[in-house]
Amino acid sequence: MNGKRDKILAILLLLMCSALSQARIKLVALPERAATVIRLDNPMATLIEEERVLTLQKGLNKVDFSWKGVSIDSDSIRLRPLDHPGKVTLLSVSYPPGEAALVWDISSDSDYAETVRISYLLSNIDRLITYKAIADKAETYVDLKSFLVLRNFSGEDFDRARVLLDYGEAFEQGIDHEETKRMLFLKADKVPITKVWTFDAARLPWDPEPLENRNVGIPVSYRIVNETASGLGEFALWGGKARLFQDDGHDSTIFLGEDVTALVPVGAKTELYIGDSRDIVVTQRKMTDTQINIRRNNKNKIILYDTDEVITAKIENFKDSPAILTMIQHIPGQWDMEKCNMKYKKKDANTLEFEIELPARMEKGPAVKELKMHYNRRNVRP
Amino acid sequence: MKRIISALLIIVVMTGISWAKVDLVTLPFRDTVQLTIYNSADMTLVRESRALTLKDGENKLQFSWANTLIDPTSLEMLPKANADKIDIADLTYPPRVRNLGLWNIESGVSGKVPVEITYLTSGLSWRAFYMGTLTEDEKTMRLQGHVRVTNNSGEDYENAQTRLIVGKVHILDEIAELARRQYPYGRPGEIVPLAGAPVRGLDRRAKMEVEKLAFSLEEAYMTPKEIRKEGLSEYFLYTIEGTETIPTGWSKRLLSFDVDEVPVVNLYKYEEERYGNLVVRFLSFKNDEKHNLGDTPIPGGMLKVYRTTDNQGHLSYTGQSSFKYIPVDEDVELNLGPVANIVVEPTLMNFETENYRFNHRGNISGWDEISTFKVEVKNTREIPVKVEIQRNFNTQYWELETKQDYEKVDLDTVKFTLNLEPRSKKAFEYVLRTYHGEREEDWTRASR
Repeated sequence: MNGKRDKILAILLLLMCSALSQARIKLVALPERAATVIRLDNPMATLIEEERVLTLQKGLNKVDFSWKGVSIDSDSIRLRPLDHPGKVTLLSVSYPPGEAALVWDISSDSDYAETVRISYLLSNIDRLITYKAIADKAETYVDLKSFLVLRNFSGEDFDRARVLLDYGEAFEQGIDHEETKRMLFLKADKVPITKVWTFDAARLPWDPEPLENRNVGIPVSYRIVNETASGLGEFALWGGKARLFQDDGHDSTIFLGEDVTALVPVGAKTELYIGDSRDIVVTQRKMTDTQINIRRNNKNKIILYDTDEVITAKIENFKDSPAILTMIQHIPGQWDMEKCNMKYKKKDANTLEFEIELPARMEKGPAVKELKMHYNRRNVRP
Repeated sequence: MKRIISALLIIVVMTGISWAKVDLVTLPFRDTVQLTIYNSADMTLVRESRALTLKDGENKLQFSWANTLIDPTSLEMLPKANADKIDIADLTYPPRVRNLGLWNIESGVSGKVPVEITYLTSGLSWRAFYMGTLTEDEKTMRLQGHVRVTNNSGEDYENAQTRLIVGKVHILDEIAELARRQYPYGRPGEIVPLAGAPVRGLDRRAKMEVEKLAFSLEEAYMTPKEIRKEGLSEYFLYTIEGTETIPTGWSKRLLSFDVDEVPVVNLYKYEEERYGNLVVRFLSFKNDEKHNLGDTPIPGGMLKVYRTTDNQGHLSYTGQSSFKYIPVDEDVELNLGPVANIVVEPTLMNFETENYRFNHRGNISGWDEISTFKVEVKNTREIPVKVEIQRNFNTQYWELETKQDYEKVDLDTVKFTLNLEPRSKKAFEYVLRTYHGEREEDWTRASR
């Protein structure tokens, strides 16, 4: 234990003879903390394990464990004798009123200098993961780096501790209260990426023309798969903020954008949204929307009908390189496709996904493709 | 620049020597500095090179950024030589000290090592703006693009290679907000607190810098600098020739391009739903080779349009328009506002209803409305113009009879396009039949 600070754990050994009163007598104070482990494998809570030597006497021992200036979940505190596990037994735990403390009743069959392992969940100490990726100029791969950021605001200084994550080797690291440390954690070069442009008709404006001086950006993402073929795939990639850069071909880089990735299990993919493309322009319009197969009730009121709808989407690529646009269209309710000039994948009952290959801009102008969807919505009730 | 340099110290720790005996070595000046400034976000990527003097063994390098707007989480240092022998183990943000980072460097070499330090800062910005000068006949326009770079970063950047990014990047946190954080990565389980307003280095060391700026501006004026443009990912990178010195608090305007004789179309639009009964003037051209443009996209900005009034070069101010980013080969339509010298007058000349349907109770259940419109278009100007008239019918159940060509824009909108000679007028008629109630079903049957 670091004696410099007052926000420390205090552990007191109380010996109690059976004939004595119930008053707690603090006879031995502050045994030194031995091996300390900071376990950061659970992103929700940090587990501290520390070893201490308790001087136990034969019979019942009361050990007072208290803390100040730190936030410990008192229900999480555990004690495990290491030297004489069958002969040193924890009988009960008591919580004194109005104190950040507890008292262990420990039974010992002899006098021992017993090493015990105390573990508890400590608040305000955690880790973050951040990523930095540099794409090549052609945007085919990234050099990926991941940094581990340790943040200690627990109120406790750790001079030297073994830090354990959910994978990889444990490492020794000291970290003081209010200190933040960032260290390189993973380096993977030439991780293949797929660049993805996505137009979701439910999210983006259909017709850019009335917007006049505002561009409709088509979101652009890099897709990375956590697999062996990518030079990854050994463990799940933790969620965190990723900053993406690109080699500019002049021994420098530009910043492309940043996004947060969720946890990426082995075999899964992540898509990092870097920014918007203004060189792909989608103009979507509804050209027909009429009611057909109308059913009326006795009062001549429409009670059921189908619709006949035509949607066109003109896609222009002003880029001087080809692109694959993922276009997402939505048709609510029950529907039948009458005619569609492009192939689509039905993602769910109401979502259609088109992968539209766009050639590069040509001499005479942008590469243009037009999607035409003619469909009927069925059994619509007014 | 001076602020960072004076605070950038290298601390060489000899093995076994306690902290009390560390050597503090002041770093030399930056060798080079490069600024990549974004305009879609308040963000600049700074890349600087310096030569560190390292000792064999453990080294500590202290970097401080007080009074700047640097995002401490973006700091990174990379050795540019002996990379395999130099291990930058970690970057520590020490407790109870603000705006300070400590790099722990394990070096296998002794002596000077070139390193590159990169970080993101806020406070530098740029924007594009344009000046258009129409010829007297308004057939062509001289288009001049300017960029204006402003430094409010709290840091002087001297002789910096300056690059500008055109494009919309996705960012999660404002760099200025990251720069103000008390703890670079925040505290666990808390919403990141702000540590009060930033202290910007606004105490200008005025006189000397005014002279310095005046000198460099004068230089720029005499030999306008070229701006190299190239595409990267979804962005365009503008690199200003040579280097720039922009002290904090100052701005600088540079000419981005100057193109003469861009053919323009005087386009006028009439659409009641959008512009009321007014005709709105647009200046139309295309960002392509035919228009002496088309090398690169044109970043969005404000365009002020003037017109040459005589051969003495006197100007009249026509109007202004902000416009969006224009990709290569895209048409540009600049809204210069409503005008009175082009007139579009649609007049309802006749209205009838017919084809009534009745339900079993004898009530009306369907009918047609037939409207005859006469549209008169007058060009009172002395130049030819193009006029686009959009008519919205508020229903998709319609039929149109007219001798005038039109284009169906969407299910209930059509567009008539007319070209008018100087001081001329044109008129056309159209008969619109709209179907209502049960008659909509007849329309559907007929059209299917």
